[in-house]
Amino acid sequence: MATYSNQCAIVGVGENKRSRKSGTTPLHMALTAARNALADAGLEANDLDGIMNYSTGADSCPSHELATFLGCHPKYVKDVSGGGSSTELLIADAVALIEAGMLNTVLIYRSMNGSSGHQVGRGYDPNMLQEMLSGGSFLMPYGTASPTQWFGMFATRHMQQTGITKKHLGHVCISFYEHAQRNPDAFLHGKPLDMETYLATPDISSPFNIHDCCVELDEANAIIVTSAANAKNCKSKPVFIAGMAPRTTHSNTHYWTQVDEVAADYAAAELYRSAGVKPEDIQVAAIYDCFSWVVLRQLESYGFAKRGEVGDFVADGNLKMGGLLPSNTAGGMLSEGYTHGMNNVLELVRQLRHDYKGTDRQVKNCELGIATGWAGPDMAGAMILRN
Amino acid sequence: MTIKTDYEKPIPLKNQDNHPYWDAADQHELKLQKCTACRSFIHPPGPACPSCGSPETEWELLGSNISATVYSYVVSYRPFLPGFQHDLPTIITVASLDAAPEVKLMANIINCDAEDVEIGMPLQMTWVDITEDRALPQWIPAKK
Repeated sequence: MATYSNQCAIVGVGENKRSRKSGTTPLHMALTAARNALADAGLEANDLDGIMNYSTGADSCPSHELATFLGCHPKYVKDVSGGGSSTELLIADAVALIEAGMLNTVLIYRSMNGSSGHQVGRGYDPNMLQEMLSGGSFLMPYGTASPTQWFGMFATRHMQQTGITKKHLGHVCISFYEHAQRNPDAFLHGKPLDMETYLATPDISSPFNIHDCCVELDEANAIIVTSAANAKNCKSKPVFIAGMAPRTTHSNTHYWTQVDEVAADYAAAELYRSAGVKPEDIQVAAIYDCFSWVVLRQLESYGFAKRGEVGDFVADGNLKMGGLLPSNTAGGMLSEGYTHGMNNVLELVRQLRHDYKGTDRQVKNCELGIATGWAGPDMAGAMILRN
Repeated sequence: MTIKTDYEKPIPLKNQDNHPYWDAADQHELKLQKCTACRSFIHPPGPACPSCGSPETEWELLGSNISATVYSYVVSYRPFLPGFQHDLPTIITVASLDAAPEVKLMANIINCDAEDVEIGMPLQMTWVDITEDRALPQWIPAKK
């Protein structure tokens, strides 16, 4: 495939320290993340000719403002309203602009006071969704204002139809929490989880308890994409973008008319075709994990386990280090922290560069990884990276 | 039904696209939008048909005797909106209409214990008067 085929690479990743209360603005955090990504790549701010970011309800800072205070003047800035698949989709945009010869080096960031500022997971203004969505008045009067409820509606039916149990959800959480115990920067480092504790924790919205939900934090992440040719001049070991696929299905307000299909089901075939690889070639994964169940559903979508066998796949420890598909190896959004998908991609890049070599955090000899994005059942974006 | 004047929960906002649905609900009837071109039901209602894109739509009155089955559900143990703190756990379902299974209507299941809900469970629509002039469609378990 000419489009991706390792023509572009991620050459820098960086973040701002995660916390419950940053005491600062998304702009300050984004600057720290961007400077750390530039240092990682061995680049200067003036090397950036594109900057992009995504936000939900203006919870970030605009790209132009970030450029101003990095002291650079990129040719192109882009701010999109997005969420859980925007990391992959903005990287796809960067690749296209670089391939078209319009840009050379693009910085993509996500910065949010997701704990001390606007919290995605804890409900919205009573009339806001009614006015914002054409179907909002069919949700809010029934108390349906939280992603735990929206995603739970999909999970309940999928679990009933495929035999996935609460315990299987627990295996996803326990696997990722186990990884967080090896990551001093994970928010839930020092807080391991066992099945007994998991099962004894009361639900928030069935089938999810607090462990099934991502940890909403204040944090910023940044990623630098450049051409394979430019990557040779960078300090870091490049991680090449081998393939990519975007996909939408249902419109947002029609979510629940068909809960048996999700966008990821359709993204998978294009993803593997674009990279020229198969699911069994993948050695390390960053699976979007706003909720534990979302991981199970995507493992099915992306061909890592057959429908009906996903529960056994995770119960057998395959998401853990040493398993068939070590996933979310920094703890994932369930236990490292939640920046709408980007922190998992940073970790995947570090795994593929073998940054943790010689420690128990490194997936041995990994060369090929997958990052999946899930903005909802209706929207997906995924990519395959190689070292 | 008793008239409640201290209703704290969000009241459905009527707008250009949805007001025939809510106007009918206030009269304890179900009315659904339908595409004039492809004959698909449209729910939630909107400015065009999501199945074929046609802007030509009409409204069909389905009456007051509405049965359905649970397609999926969640049991919510935390209030995410005002008023629901008095009403926990809240059962929220998307129910598939018996008369048109492709149509899924979200509502609470009331007069039901959370542990009794299961996919496939039969439901009957009822209307709860929430203000002097507004009523909210809800589901109650149907007798088999």
